[in-house]
Amino acid sequence: MALAFMQKLSAWHLSRQSLKRAWSEWDYLVLDIETSGLDPKQDHIVSFGWVCIHKGVIELDTARHIVLDSAQIGDNVGIHMITDSDVLQQGKKQESVLRYLRHLLRERVLVMHHAPMELGFLKQAWQTEALATFSANWLDTLAIERTKANRAHQPIQDGGFRLGSCRERYGLPEYQGHDALTDALATAELLLAQIAYQGRDCRLHDLNQMGGGRVRLATR
Amino acid sequence: MSKVSSAKKENNKMAAIDIPEVHKFIETIPPFSSLSLPERKQLLTGVTMLYVRQGQTLILKDEAATVHLIRRGACEIRTPKGGLVDQIADGECFGVSSVMAQNPDGLQVVAMEDSLVYRFEKTRFMETLAQSEAFGLFFEHTQHNRLRKLSRSQSNELASPALQLSTPISHIMTRQLILATPEESVQTIAMRMTEARVSSILVVEGDKLTGIVTDRDLRSRILALGGSADSLVKEVMTQDPVNLRPDALVMQAQTLMSESNIHHLPIVDEEQRAVGMLTAADLLRHQELSPLLLINQIHRQQSIEELARVCKQWPTLIMNLIVTDMKPADVGKVLATVSDNLTRRVIELALDKYGPAPMAFQFLVFGSQARRDQSLGSDQDNGLMLEREPTEKESQYFADLSECICQGLGLCGIRLCPGNIMASNPEWRRTAVGWQQAFSTWIKSSAPSALLHASIFFDIRCVYDSGDKQGDAVNNLIKAMQLEVSKNSVFLATLTRTALASKPPLGFFRHFVLESSGEHKNQLDLKHQGLALINDLARLYGLSCKTYRAGTLDRIEQAIREKLISVDTARNLMDAWDKLNGLRLEAQGRHWQATGKASAYLDPKDLSSLERKHLKTTFSIINDVQDVAQQRFLRGYS
Repeated sequence: MALAFMQKLSAWHLSRQSLKRAWSEWDYLVLDIETSGLDPKQDHIVSFGWVCIHKGVIELDTARHIVLDSAQIGDNVGIHMITDSDVLQQGKKQESVLRYLRHLLRERVLVMHHAPMELGFLKQAWQTEALATFSANWLDTLAIERTKANRAHQPIQDGGFRLGSCRERYGLPEYQGHDALTDALATAELLLAQIAYQGRDCRLHDLNQMGGGRVRLATR
Repeated sequence: MSKVSSAKKENNKMAAIDIPEVHKFIETIPPFSSLSLPERKQLLTGVTMLYVRQGQTLILKDEAATVHLIRRGACEIRTPKGGLVDQIADGECFGVSSVMAQNPDGLQVVAMEDSLVYRFEKTRFMETLAQSEAFGLFFEHTQHNRLRKLSRSQSNELASPALQLSTPISHIMTRQLILATPEESVQTIAMRMTEARVSSILVVEGDKLTGIVTDRDLRSRILALGGSADSLVKEVMTQDPVNLRPDALVMQAQTLMSESNIHHLPIVDEEQRAVGMLTAADLLRHQELSPLLLINQIHRQQSIEELARVCKQWPTLIMNLIVTDMKPADVGKVLATVSDNLTRRVIELALDKYGPAPMAFQFLVFGSQARRDQSLGSDQDNGLMLEREPTEKESQYFADLSECICQGLGLCGIRLCPGNIMASNPEWRRTAVGWQQAFSTWIKSSAPSALLHASIFFDIRCVYDSGDKQGDAVNNLIKAMQLEVSKNSVFLATLTRTALASKPPLGFFRHFVLESSGEHKNQLDLKHQGLALINDLARLYGLSCKTYRAGTLDRIEQAIREKLISVDTARNLMDAWDKLNGLRLEAQGRHWQATGKASAYLDPKDLSSLERKHLKTTFSIINDVQDVAQQRFLRGYS
């Protein structure tokens, strides 16, 4: 019992220490989730999109767009452009996707735009699939942007923290599609831009302070 | 069965990189657009994306030694010394030479804007190069183009200080010596120095150098001590001055002069005979031809032929200014200062030749010299303002004097005016009243055709006043003219019509894109199709102001001050003027280096797509301001 506690403590200490390394020494997984609605209790995940960042650059061939076989498309087809036949042909089991994601997140920091929403759905899914407990560091590009605006005393209007509006401020291109994959890539680019503005010696620690944390995904 | 195969196809697509936004972009960019889908997928394997902050430098080695494609942003390619090779933007590639030739020149990439960049994986890129001929050819061409630009940028670097320091003194010293003997009086040598326009004189006995007297010696050893003008040279000279042999290097001379704190260094041969003189100014001039030194030289020349020889450096001076990235507006001001001084010196020499003028007169300049935006190969536009009506004899005097001045300026590189707007034309030698009448006629005539040729006179400045009145007569004329104009809305409307007669060549770019590969080499005349339009607009606004300004930017600023134009519109127009002027100077520089002739024509091949984009914006700004001017000055008249 005491040993386990000490191990945990030393792991925690190690992770605190390593937060001080340069941001580019970390690997990241930038995630976007399409869902059937806004409430994790009632609604469910339709698709995952992600792309990884390694040594400070986005590795485009790590990009994945995965539709779940459980996806119920219904009226939302107009939003994420996923059709019933996509689900039939390409649908994957949520459990295996989450296991894969867990595997990838063992050595990566999870990045999202507007974390509360994505994390809410992930927590719910974790319970549904009864997966083993798992913790991950995360960053939220929206929270980073909000902190930045607050620090600079620059009020940003309603809607100004939407992914597209944030990207516009950094001169990033306007993307047409809004599927989970495009949004994941868009978020990854936004993160690089935010970091570039922080300066070369930006650390994960700094980003964490602006908008990050640690999440515990548990079966409960 | 068909269902299975289509599902399989989908699965394949899933395996390879499949981000719609990436494909959508790459598909439209040559030469990637020439690749088949499998080829494109192969190339995209291993592609990464990076964000480069403005001002950040990428060094193309290790994993970065590969081809990059700009998704959004703009970058400059520079040599290790900072020489500009190319500017590129969205959809253009860099790092081609690092893949194809291991980047022998050590080129660097500097982000001019924040840039989002795709980085291709080197081996995949090489495979694609080997497989697709069109693809390979494109990059060979790109590389060839860059090499051409590289060699151009390196030839500019040739004049590096390191090379210049190893030049022997004999190449740059003055050989025409002003000499004195120890027994002469200081007054006689002071007169000789003044006449020769030098600040030092060498003292010789027999033919051996024994001393030197400088301006400073005359001041500190005679004047400051209340000494007599009859003092002898040997009493004030510095004996056995520090000297060097002609084969010493510039660097040695420089060191010696700064160590001994002297500005004049006599050059002697083995027998101690004076063979030359090297001044601090000579050294500076050698290092970098500066406008100040050219002006200095201009004032020291004693004949028009000598002036013409000195003015041969004019293009080099302009090239230097362009290479040092001076702001175009400042280049214009510097050149105007040089040409004003040149004009004054030519007038002085002409007065020496024909004797003092029988009455006070002012020398007027019009057009670009008046606006202070001259460049390489500008022609002269000038006139005389006389104190009173000349007699027949006086008239002949001014005819001869003007002819001498205009031809002299021509010899010095300011071309004769093809429209004969020159002081040598009796039409443009007038009294104050005569000039007033001329302006009145132009202002009252509402025929745009009359104004088209006269508008150049509304850019007017006095560069020489023989009567020491600093051009008061001309300033009064200008004040009267401005007052008359600013209240005359009919005239302003006419002026507007002529200013709006030409439109910026916005269609040029479409044209260029369509025909660049054919026989039609479209060229853009930056002066007449761009700058002249802005000058016209600025003149229009300037003349509607209460206060007269001659320069284009000054006029726009004055119009802001008098609230005739919105700050936004004005700033846009000023930016456009700057941009076009910069491009013109660059184009002229290139053209001069290649052919020895000045030309404001721009070869579209020399433009990067970024520059093309800028130029297009620039032209649409002119177009917009023309619309604004039409609203303001033509309402009720058109």
